[in-house]
Amino acid sequence: MPAMLEVDGLVKKYGDFEAVKGISFSVEEGEVFGLLGPNGAGKTQTISMLTGVIQPTSGTARVGGHDLRTQMDEVKKINGLVPQDLALYPTLSARANLNFFGRIYGLRGKDLKERVEDVLRIVALTDRADQAVEKYSGGMKRRVNIAAGLLHHPRLFFLDEPTVGVDPQSRNHIFESVLRLNRERGMTILYTSHYMEEVELLCNRVAIIDQGKIIALDTIKNLVALLGGGVIQVGLQRVDDAILAQLAALPAVKEATLVPPPVAPPPAEGEAVAAKEIEAVPSGVVVKIVAKNSQQAIVNVIGFLHEQDIMLTSLEILQPNLESVFLHLTGKKLRE
Amino acid sequence: MKALSIAFKDLQILFKDRGDMFLLFLLPLFFIVVFSGALTAIGQSEESAKALIPLPVVDLDGGDAARTLIDGLNAAGGVRVEHYTNQAEATTLLKDRKIDRALIVPSAMGSDLAAGRTVTLRLVSHPDANAGQTEAVRLVVDGVARDMALEGQILAALRQMGEMQAGESAEYQQAFGVEKTQAQARSQFDQAQARPLIEVKQTVPTQPEQPVKLSSMAEVAVPGMLVLFAFLTAQSTARSIYDEKKIGSFRRLLAAPLSKAALLAGKMLPNFITALIQAVVILAFGAIGLQLLGLKPVSLGSDPLALVLAVVLIALCSVSLGILIAALARTEGQIGGIGTLVTWGMGLIGGSIIPVFVLDQFGVLPKIVPHYWANRALDNLMIRGLGLADVGAELVILLGFTALFFVVGLWKFDFD
Repeated sequence: MPAMLEVDGLVKKYGDFEAVKGISFSVEEGEVFGLLGPNGAGKTQTISMLTGVIQPTSGTARVGGHDLRTQMDEVKKINGLVPQDLALYPTLSARANLNFFGRIYGLRGKDLKERVEDVLRIVALTDRADQAVEKYSGGMKRRVNIAAGLLHHPRLFFLDEPTVGVDPQSRNHIFESVLRLNRERGMTILYTSHYMEEVELLCNRVAIIDQGKIIALDTIKNLVALLGGGVIQVGLQRVDDAILAQLAALPAVKEATLVPPPVAPPPAEGEAVAAKEIEAVPSGVVVKIVAKNSQQAIVNVIGFLHEQDIMLTSLEILQPNLESVFLHLTGKKLRE
Repeated sequence: MKALSIAFKDLQILFKDRGDMFLLFLLPLFFIVVFSGALTAIGQSEESAKALIPLPVVDLDGGDAARTLIDGLNAAGGVRVEHYTNQAEATTLLKDRKIDRALIVPSAMGSDLAAGRTVTLRLVSHPDANAGQTEAVRLVVDGVARDMALEGQILAALRQMGEMQAGESAEYQQAFGVEKTQAQARSQFDQAQARPLIEVKQTVPTQPEQPVKLSSMAEVAVPGMLVLFAFLTAQSTARSIYDEKKIGSFRRLLAAPLSKAALLAGKMLPNFITALIQAVVILAFGAIGLQLLGLKPVSLGSDPLALVLAVVLIALCSVSLGILIAALARTEGQIGGIGTLVTWGMGLIGGSIIPVFVLDQFGVLPKIVPHYWANRALDNLMIRGLGLADVGAELVILLGFTALFFVVGLWKFDFD
């Protein structure tokens, strides 16, 4: 079966700044594919290029077999987009909003009416469809936002951070809608989020994106397996290469590496003296230990540190999930 | 079709906003009422405070009737008659704008009046002459000419009656008693009022003669407000595009199978329609509403087609300006700042708030804004009663501004 989406070396530059740095991936028909990354990683830019909102600087993609650069009209008919913003007219009712977006996709008359009723049913807002959108809760607005993207029966549905600012109940409703669209209507879905729980719940495969590059792409199971039996982060008063090597050689330990210290922002004017004072105090280091078996590794590491008379300043055990995969790959947390 | 859908949606949003409704449709009417009164006061104070307006008179008749007219003009105040006997000289001076206007007294004025034939005095003014002064001069000439014609007609009638009575029997003479004479004089007076023997026609060089229309300061305020508020919709166009970007729907529209041209056309169309509706409301108020309020209504001129064309071009120019503002302004504050500066500022120097003739001291400055040409076109059509051919230059210049704003706006427009 041909891929629904094939992305090939997509680049987006703004002057010297490269927002998307030549990413490539493919999404199979009927798949729920996740783009996971922190804010500013390039997820929205990628989606914007794939939906024709902005022009790629270089690279291309094929959507349903149609080339992004030469067959954009066909691509746009296949795509459905739920932008991160609430792209709705607040003073108009949900029905008026949907009627408008339906007409933009060429729907008229009976077809339009039926489609509007259908998408209102999908997002469970039929009863309040004639109320102005500005009177809706955040979650209801998000649901109308999704409905507007579904009007023209898209085959490839892009959802860009669709749960931002949504209450738990509406979030669950959005998850159910996404899964139903995929299972019952066979819709291919590309879902972006910086919430790893959402991606873990909804997606078959995930591309982890950071600073405009895909740094890992696989099934969630395979990505988590990168961590072996889990990750332990220990704060130490002192460490050197010999200690690191000895830690890595301990039983149940897969690897031990130094976590790079966070880059401090330059001191503001007038704060230079205070910054120097802070530097003078030894802050210790953090060592990341990838374990084959996390419980056994903890016992071995603590015993070794005691033998070496190295003071332990902190201990953090990271569960094997996408969050810790991201941390493992980038050295920073998803929501930093 | 999709552009129409966008336009329909924008109009739906617009008509739900009571603030916009007030700004677009009621505020201009309020301004017209206020400005009509204020401008009348300005006009009156100007007339009384200023020195006499020079009025070159080309006397081609040279007889008693012409002398009576000139004496009347001098006695009426407001104008200072300058004598010319050579029409060619006056025409050359007018062409070079050495003089702003000239009154042509026809060669057979005396004999025509004596024979009861209508005499036409032509008040020729330079196209760029101070419209307020020209109007003031016209009113003075009109008044003096009416008085003179009335007096002449009544005297002629009485003379005729005297001649008829002479040589008749006593019974017959009795039939022409005091009451009969008074009735005859009244009839002659009414006839003279309805069909004056002397009429004044106002023209500009190279233009065919046009009948003068009634004028008032409201006739300055109505076109002025029409132009000002039509151009204010430029800000609405820019704000509508900005809002669409701000809420994110612009991205959704860009992701839809919709050309950028259709998207822009859809954003321009509602404000074009709004500007047209606004113009209809303002003109209807000027022609009918002012009368209902006990004020003097304005004339819509003698060429409705030209008026419609001028209004359409003004609306087009306004939405093009809106695209330019949307392209240049990046924030809501800039939309407000640039929009206000451009629309109100241009209105101010372009003769919408203060009539162009008051702004003559600014030289070419008013001419660099479209408002000036729009006001000038409407003034020529509505106040001077000229036609399409006479405002061709103004309309072409407006079209030029429209194209310029649109091309630069499109060039600078950020679809991302």
